[in-house]
Amino acid sequence: MTATKQALNAFVHETGGWVASQLEACTRCGMCAEACHFYQATGNPEYAPVWKVELLRRAYEQRFTIFGAIKTALGIDKRITDEDLQHWSDLNYYACTVCNKCSMVCPMGIDLGSLLHGMRAGLAAAGMVPADLMTAVNKQIEEGSPLGMTDSVWDQRLEWVADEWEVEIPRDVQGADTLVVFSSIEVMKFPTNIAAIAKILNAAGEKWTVSSKAREVVNFGFYQGSEENTKLFLSRVLEGAKELGVKRIVVTECGHAYDALRWHAANWLPEANDFEIIHITGVLGELVGSGRIRLKPGAFDGDGTITFHDACKIQRKGGHIQEPRDILKVLAPESFKEMTPNREQSVCCGGGGGVIAVKAADPVRYAAFELKIDQVNKVGAKTVVMTCSNCRLQFTDSVDHFKLDWKVIGLAQMVADALVE
Amino acid sequence: MNWTAILEFARGPFFYAALLIFVAGMIYRLVTVIGLGWSKDRVPAKGSKAGGVVMSFLKGILVWPFIPWVKNTFKRNPLIYIGGGLFHLGLFVVVFLGTAHMLVFKSLLGFGWGTLPLPIVDWLAAAGIVGMLILLINRIIHPVLRLISGPAEYLAWLFVFLPMITGYALTHHLGPRYEVMYSLHMISVNVLLIWIPLSRISHFIFYFFSRAIHGQEFGKRGVRV
Repeated sequence: MTATKQALNAFVHETGGWVASQLEACTRCGMCAEACHFYQATGNPEYAPVWKVELLRRAYEQRFTIFGAIKTALGIDKRITDEDLQHWSDLNYYACTVCNKCSMVCPMGIDLGSLLHGMRAGLAAAGMVPADLMTAVNKQIEEGSPLGMTDSVWDQRLEWVADEWEVEIPRDVQGADTLVVFSSIEVMKFPTNIAAIAKILNAAGEKWTVSSKAREVVNFGFYQGSEENTKLFLSRVLEGAKELGVKRIVVTECGHAYDALRWHAANWLPEANDFEIIHITGVLGELVGSGRIRLKPGAFDGDGTITFHDACKIQRKGGHIQEPRDILKVLAPESFKEMTPNREQSVCCGGGGGVIAVKAADPVRYAAFELKIDQVNKVGAKTVVMTCSNCRLQFTDSVDHFKLDWKVIGLAQMVADALVE
Repeated sequence: MNWTAILEFARGPFFYAALLIFVAGMIYRLVTVIGLGWSKDRVPAKGSKAGGVVMSFLKGILVWPFIPWVKNTFKRNPLIYIGGGLFHLGLFVVVFLGTAHMLVFKSLLGFGWGTLPLPIVDWLAAAGIVGMLILLINRIIHPVLRLISGPAEYLAWLFVFLPMITGYALTHHLGPRYEVMYSLHMISVNVLLIWIPLSRISHFIFYFFSRAIHGQEFGKRGVRV
């Protein structure tokens, strides 16, 4: 029962008035289920967001409310067991991307994403995290990256990218304005992103650098829900930034890393506020909007319909909703078409929140992606653009799995390809 | 004991006791939740938190109940929108804009307000009752609602339904004698008042917390609520 005890302690730790008032506001109407792509795809009632946070609610009621305490004492309310934790671990890590769409349909406006993250905090404290995810977390603790991007791999990859695409990548430049922190997904799987972003920033005349210390923006501690590990990985980035004396930190095409660094870091590590933290999508919008870089209008027209996939952590939870559209209207004024629903109401890709890292979650992950296939097919798009490498991983993997003939591309890459020197 | 005496008790001491429990209970609930502490948000905002809160309430109060089809989820589970909307509309109109109820408030607060003509209130009361039945059916047949509903949910439904149905019968002189029906109405109202702080019916107060939080979170990020 020690696991349960640790989970309960973490739940209690999570339960400030902020969480408690939202748990109290829930009327158990079940509407959140209708927003969940995993529920929609499978029809499994246990995937209803309200049910996924059931243990958090139960722990709160039993510990903090008189009625809950009485019910538990009388045996009406069930105590939380290790088996419960295991079961809810599956529900939360396999079938939730913490995309927060549920919060958009809740009539009470409950910020379910935060509660779901609170669930993960409890499960992480109890050690009830899927083995695949834990392997990645431990790898990040030990090697600095869940994808094995060690010091020497980092060196080799960056040199190779600089060579292959003939682009200059400033490294560990003391006193640069901007620190760009890539995700290892990009370094290892989408190296064209590195080249593209380097090309854009060089063209804009930005004084930028990468850091060998702050080289990994991915934060598997955040997926896991462990505050300790999240802080550890965040502090690596912040320390690297401090050493180089930069003014701002640019998070590249990675969603949850941006969520952690931009919207959570300052509450754990006040030094985060020494820097402006911004997503590359915001930077691109700025550069194009101000004319610091010029794009060839219509560069991507004439090759079938292009659509944009909104990432939950960058658009809905990050606020960079308009910039990609402004840019796509320049790049492909004729062929850019919106999916429905889109923008802050968009449907998640199904691979975020660490789900894609868990092998056992594959069936439900592919099932959720079928909603995306429907959406894309409805606009008849042949190219899907996105600003999140985790979405992109899910898209490329699912395109293979379902044998689709789509082109999947990152926004930065399109911008780089359309640059007018 | 005759029904006149029961009625006197139900609309007299019992009612005041229930009212006291309701008010004290709700204050207790609020204090315990607020007392859990609120950590300060040090994250710099991108958009306006205050603007988000205003939008969140406008949307919650105007858009949600009256134009539900703006939500894509309306198609997926229309029963809950229709049932929930009818019920809340009927309840608010009957409780605050029904003449008999306004007079109760007047005797308690010392001031009154204009009310709606009885036929309108009456139709909305009927709509509220129909809404509640829809919600009950939905709770019984929907797989998610079946999973998340326990005795507490059904009891809460029953304790809200009884005052509504007895009140409706009372205005239409249905069922047993007037004093009997009136007594039953008052007893069920008292039971409801006592039950509210003990149950999720208290959501009407925490609604203001969660919607404000929602507005803050989305406003902070510069995203439409």
